[in-house]
Parts: sequence; structure tokens; C-alpha cells
Amino acid sequence: MIRITRRAALAGAVAGLAAPSLARAQNLTKTSVGVLRLSSSGPVFIAAERGYWREAGLDVELKYFTAAQQVPVAVTSGDADFGVTGLTAAFFNLAGKGALKIVAAQSREEKGFELNAYMATNAAIEKGFRSIRDFPGKRLGITTAGSTFHYALGLIARKYGFDPASVTLVPLQTLPNMQAAFKGGQVDAVIVPVTLARALEADKAGKILAWVGDETPWQLGALFTSPRAISEKRDLVERFIRGYLRGAADFNAAFNQRDAAGKEVRGTNFAETIGVVARAVQQSPELVTIGLPFVDAQGRLDVGDIYNQIAFWQQAGLVARDVNGKDIVDLSFVRGHMNVPRS
Amino acid sequence: MPVRGAALVAFVGLVAFWEFAVARGYVSPIFLPAPSSVLLALGELWNAGTLWRHVSESLVRLAGGWTVGTGCGLAAGFAIGVWSLGRAVGVPFVSALFPIPKISLLPLLILWLGIGEASKIATIALGVFFPTAIATYAAIDAVPRNLIRMAQSFDLPAADVLRKVVLPGALPGILAGFRISTSIALILLVSAEMIGAQYGIGAFILQAGNLMLTDQLLAGVLLISILGLALGTALTRIERRLLRWR
Amino acid sequence: MELVCEGISHRYGALEVLDGIDLTVRAGECLALLGPSGCGKSTLLGIMGGILKPSAGRVSVAGNPPAGSLNPITYIFQDFALLPWRTVEGNVALALEHRNLAAGELRARVGEALARTNLTEFSTAFPRQLSGGMRQRVGIARALAVDPAILLMDEPLSALDAQTRDLLMEDFLKLWLATRTTSVYVTHNLHEAIRLADRICVLSRRPGRIKEIVAVDLPQADRAMPVAARAMAELGERLWDAIRAEAQVAEREIADG
Ligand SMILES: Nc1ncnc2c1ncn2[C@@H]1O[C@H](COP(=O)(O)OP(=O)(O)O)[C@@H](O)[C@H]1O
Ligand SMILES: [Mg+2]
Repeated sequence: MIRITRRAALAGAVAGLAAPSLARAQNLTKTSVGVLRLSSSGPVFIAAERGYWREAGLDVELKYFTAAQQVPVAVTSGDADFGVTGLTAAFFNLAGKGALKIVAAQSREEKGFELNAYMATNAAIEKGFRSIRDFPGKRLGITTAGSTFHYALGLIARKYGFDPASVTLVPLQTLPNMQAAFKGGQVDAVIVPVTLARALEADKAGKILAWVGDETPWQLGALFTSPRAISEKRDLVERFIRGYLRGAADFNAAFNQRDAAGKEVRGTNFAETIGVVARAVQQSPELVTIGLPFVDAQGRLDVGDIYNQIAFWQQAGLVARDVNGKDIVDLSFVRGHMNVPRS
Repeated sequence: MPVRGAALVAFVGLVAFWEFAVARGYVSPIFLPAPSSVLLALGELWNAGTLWRHVSESLVRLAGGWTVGTGCGLAAGFAIGVWSLGRAVGVPFVSALFPIPKISLLPLLILWLGIGEASKIATIALGVFFPTAIATYAAIDAVPRNLIRMAQSFDLPAADVLRKVVLPGALPGILAGFRISTSIALILLVSAEMIGAQYGIGAFILQAGNLMLTDQLLAGVLLISILGLALGTALTRIERRLLRWR
Repeated sequence: MELVCEGISHRYGALEVLDGIDLTVRAGECLALLGPSGCGKSTLLGIMGGILKPSAGRVSVAGNPPAGSLNPITYIFQDFALLPWRTVEGNVALALEHRNLAAGELRARVGEALARTNLTEFSTAFPRQLSGGMRQRVGIARALAVDPAILLMDEPLSALDAQTRDLLMEDFLKLWLATRTTSVYVTHNLHEAIRLADRICVLSRRPGRIKEIVAVDLPQADRAMPVAARAMAELGERLWDAIRAEAQVAEREIADG
């Protein structure tokens, strides 16, 4: 056993304290961000872990939530200053009431990134459900109306020119319910995240017809804050985004690299960065490696798609007609946004 | 009657205060929509012609689930209450299964019964079954033994003792159990309609919550409250008729 | 009918309650069972009526029940045992409904029993609307409706206040004198026993044994008369002497749990 003298212990303690107390001496501005423990929030975890915000003069508290819709609610209520999460009809309903503004990108569905799958049951395939063009007249299990899965249906409906209303939506609320309904053959198809899709395929319950990202790239998630923060604390918002974008760049550099053939290659600092994300989402690095999403290195948004999302929800009657994309997105923080509508 | 009036005045006062607080901007309508916008949401539902569809589909599920659950619960409660073997088997069974949150069984129910009406009705029936069984056998236990002994001393056949003494003696307790089980049925409506329901008050509430449409959410909650109030009033009527002797 | 108890002993587990009771209830008599609380009177009555099996000894019935008796051995209960959800006539009818009587006979029997107990105007009242005395009248009417051969009464008046008790006792006596149904009247009240009984069987404290059997020679109809007062008082004193010591000890026994 090693004996530690009191003086040595004291010296160690002082040394340990030195770094944070130094940081505190810099007078960091306190702020907070609401996130889910998902790898798509990787830029947040990386920025926090690597001190990018501290370098920008911020002391950022991460507030964890368990469901996507809780994050915009938390930002609306002032429980968190920023939020990072997937875009849903609920988000646009809150944003449409003037409570939220999108300022940068989170994850995006992209070609070659297998995040969410269109799946058909064996029985449906036998009856001729061969491709995603065959959706009309089928029963599709989703979590809820207004979810990202629902929009994934809208995307192929537009792409292949069928009416999304010709597909019977079966809202099942939870992934376990969807899994059960799919296995029991009570729905013909589901749209599910990669881990569940792999599990269902392994169980021989059905087949993956296509990946959402391969079919239609779209803006899955975003970083947002309140309009009040933008008007009253613009400087803080800018510094927060600066730190966030450094995290996004690291994320992209480590996870989103492809070779000339489009095959995945491990990027800069892959193992260490996976470790950061794995700790934050409380899963094994191996599991996290499956289903890493694409995150734009510069936080650029597919603005046109956000407008499309709003239009789709309005068409489905899930978002009020008076909600306007222009009022929801603030393009002034990040340069080079994509597909910006002209008007 | 004056007490009843007080409840109404308090209710109207509260709603008026709520409306005022939202109108004057003390409370953000994002967090708490004004009563008027809740009513407006109800009105929209009415105009869209879907209000009745939501209500009627829910009523069918409630009636089906409650009837099945109550029927089985009464049978089990009687078996436990009057039959010692039934008690030996039934009581540990009921105690072990009652506390299971029925919502956690949804995936299983979907596998067994599909996502049609059967699984929704079963969810409600399961929730109703246990409190009914417990209320029934507790009510039978509470029937005074001296009344049963009296009936036996006059040589009433066992079936008559059951029908004329045990059943009416247990009726107040059973009806009190109905009050609880109808509330539980309403509570479980939302869970039941988590299973792939496109219509129904529970499905409507779920969707409104998922879309953060708080005015619609409260409109759905209001519908459930009205339903609860109506069922409670009906039960009071039934109690008053059946228990006139009290 | 006559009821014969031979060598009746009873124990509840380790608790010895009755010890060697030999007793004959003679046809047409009213026998009072007098003894301190807890001495086993109710137990003995239960054994007599066959709803309790004695640990030892046997009970037999001699003679045939009168024609028309629907329930030869019939109880009247201390706590009335009325169904609160049935009206007065419903409670009386309960004792008859399973006997497959013609509808007319059932109604006639109920009506007659209610008339004899002066309950006709209350026939549609519920028990909760009646006083204690009225409720026990219903209990009596229910017993009369089946034309019993033997009436077993377990302290039928002890739940009532003193005044009601006296009034009902006189009414009951009148009814009884009209039929002279063989009766066992359990009581711990000396005055009831003296007023009603042909013979009084005094039981010791637990375990109950027969201490003595005292015959009351005066006809019941004459006992309330002033000339009888002296004889009745003497009898009362004699019985009181017999039970006082027992009652005192029994009292303490119960108080000690
Ligand atoms: N079912 C029973 N089990 C056990 N003990 C009993 C039971 N019934 C009565 N006893 C006991 O037997 C004794 C005699 O009871 P009981 O016949 O009711 O006396 P009494 O009617 O003279 O007051 C009492 O001590 C009583 O506590
Ligand atoms: Mg007794």
C-alpha cells in the first residue's frame, strides 16, 4: 500500500483544482443546451468534452431529455437556452408561435448513411410489396403522426408521385409497439432506425426495402434557440455556435469520411471521438459506430428541405397554415446554407 | 343544493380567471391555451365532422373493455369470495398481477391480439378486471355472517343464499368498485389507443401531444372529463335506484 | 315436539364451553336458559338447533311437527338478522319463498304473521326506518310465518332498551300463550326468565353445567298480578342467590380477557 502524506495529498488537490479555478477566473458565461443521448447530438458532446465552449468563454450545461419533443419545449420554457434535436411537426408548431429559431444544422440524411430504413414484412413482400413505390394502399406503422418517420413517407411520396394519404398510417407511439406490430404482421411496413431495422431483419420478420438517406437526403435535425436570445444576447449565441461548429467539424472529420468509391473510412481521431460520443450516449463504441449520422462540418442547413417539411405538415393538416419558414430559420449565423429559397 | 351551486361558481370563477390571465398575457398561450381557444379547438373538431367519430370509437372501446373486464372481474371475485379453493388460487394471482402497469404489456397484447379493436379492448378490460375482482370479493367478505347463518337456519338452498343474501349484501361494495373501474377505463383509454388507433379521444390526445398542439390536447382532456362526469352521474343514479334501502 | 339433549359437551379448541348437559325441553313449554355471559348458552342453543355439532353427546327430537310447519326448528336472533335491502314483508317472505308455496298462501302467511305482530302498516318499510323493538317484531313475525314446532331464541330482547324490552316481552308472551310453541329462551336477565318461562335452567359459569332447574308454578298470565308479586319476588331472590356468585366471577373472567 502506498502511503500518502498529508502534504502530498494537499498538493495534489491544489493541482487538481488549478485548471477549473483558472477557468472560473476567466469569468465564463453560463448557458445551457438541451439534448437527447443520441449520436446525432455528437457535436454537442465533442464541443463540451474538448472545451470548445470554454475557449469561447462559455460554461455550457448539458441538459438531457428522453424524447425529441421535450427539447423544443425546454427551450420555449426557458429551461434550456439552446436545443439540438430532430425536426418534427411539434417543433414547427412551437416555432410557428414565435418561440424558436433554427440557427444551424444538426444531422442530415445523406446518401450512403444508413440511419432509417423503409421495411416491409415478409407477408407483404410475398403479396407483391417489392419496392417503396408500392406504398399506396398499404398499412405503415409509425411512431406518431408528425414524426420524422412520417416525413420520410412524405419524401418518397413526392419522389415517386403518389398521394401520402393513400397510405394508411398506423400510429403505434413506441418502437417496441412497432416491432410487435411488424412481427405480428399487423402492418405491411414500418420506417425504423437502423438498429431496429437490423434486429427485425435478423429475426427474419421482413426486409429492408431502402434507406431514407439513399432515397432523399433531408435536414433531419437542427440547432435552435429562442428569438429572444438572438435579439438580447446575440454575442452569446454567436460564441455558442462557434463552439458547436468546431464539434460538428470534428464529428464530420472523424465519422463522415468516404473514399472515392463511397466506402466508409475512419477519419481523424476516430477511436477517441467515438469514445466521447459513446460515453455521452451511454452505449458501447461498437454500437455507436453503427448508425452514425451525417453532420455538416460547417453546420449548413438544407433550407429548402425545411421549407418542404413545413409545407408537407401543412398539407397533412398537422401544422397551422400561417407558419412560415422565413420566420423560423435565422440564416445569419452560418455561411453557405444550401438550397435557400429565393423569395 | 347550495353546495352544488358553490362548485359551479368556483368552476366558472376559475375558468374566467384563467381566460383573463391568458388574455392579459400573464400566461403564455404556448404553455396554457385560453379556455376560449380550447373551445375553439373543440369547435373545429365538430366542424371537421370528426368529433363524433372520435367519441363514438372511444365509447365502443370503453363499453367493450369495461363490460368484458367487469364480467370476468365479477366472476373471479365471486369465485374467490364464496369458494375456498377459488380464494386459495385467486388471491395470490390477483395480488401478483394487479400492480403490473398494463401499458408495459402493450407489445405483448399486439403480438397476441393484433392492432385491431381486440387489443385495445383487452387493455381496458385488463385494467378493469383486477379492481373489480378485488372489490367484489372484499364486498362479499363484508356481508355480515349472521345474515348468512339466518338464511341457512331457514333452510334456504345455497343458490338462494347467494342470490338473496350474498349478492345484494355485496352490491354496495361492488358498485363502489364500478366507480373506480370506470375511472380506470377512462385512464386506460389513452393507453389503449396508443395501439394504432387513428380515431378516438385517446388517439386525438396523443396526437395533439405529439404535435405540441396544446389547445387540442386540452380539448381532448376536456372530452374525457365530460365523459367521466357523465359516467359518474349515471352510476350515482344507478346506485340511488339499487340501494334505495340505505 | 320435544327436544332431548343427552350428555352434551362442547369445546372450541382448548376452550371447554359445555360439560355434560342432560336436558329435555318438554312439548309446549317455555324453557329459559339462564346463565352468566360466556357460559355457553348460545353454543348450547346452536347445538339444539343442529347448526353446531357438539364435541360429545347427542340431541334428538321426539314427536312430529304440526301440520303446516315449514321450518320445524326456528331461531329468533339477538341482532334481529334482517336483510336491510328487503322491506318488512320481504324479510318475512324470505323464510317462505323457497318452499314452493302457492302464491296465495305465501301472501296469506306473510299477511297473517304481520297482523299478529302489529306490523301490517309497516309492511313496505325498510328495516333502517324502524326502531329496534319494531325490528325484533319483524324477526318474530318471520319466525311465526313458518309455523315452527320449536322456537329457539337467543337473548331476543337484550339489544333493546329497558322500556321497549318490557313492552315487547308482554306482546311476545301474548303471542306465545296463543300457540304454546315449544320454546327455548336464552337470557342472562333474571326478570325475563321469571316472566316468561315454565322452567328455568340455571347454568354455571364456563364450562357450562346445569346448576339447577327451577319450575315456575304460577301460570304466566297471573304472574303480573299484584297478588303474585310476593311469590315472584321470592323466586327472584332465590335465583339471584344461585347466579350471583357465578355472575361476579364470570364478570371478572371476561374483563380479564
Ligand atoms: N366460534 C367460536 N370459536 C371459539 N370460541 C368461541 C366461539 N363461539 C363462542 N366461543 C367462546 O365460547 C364461550 C361461550 O360462548 P357463548 O356460547 O356465546 O356464550 P354465551 O352465549 O353464554 O354468552 C365464550 O367464552 C366464547 O368466547
Ligand atoms: Mg350468547
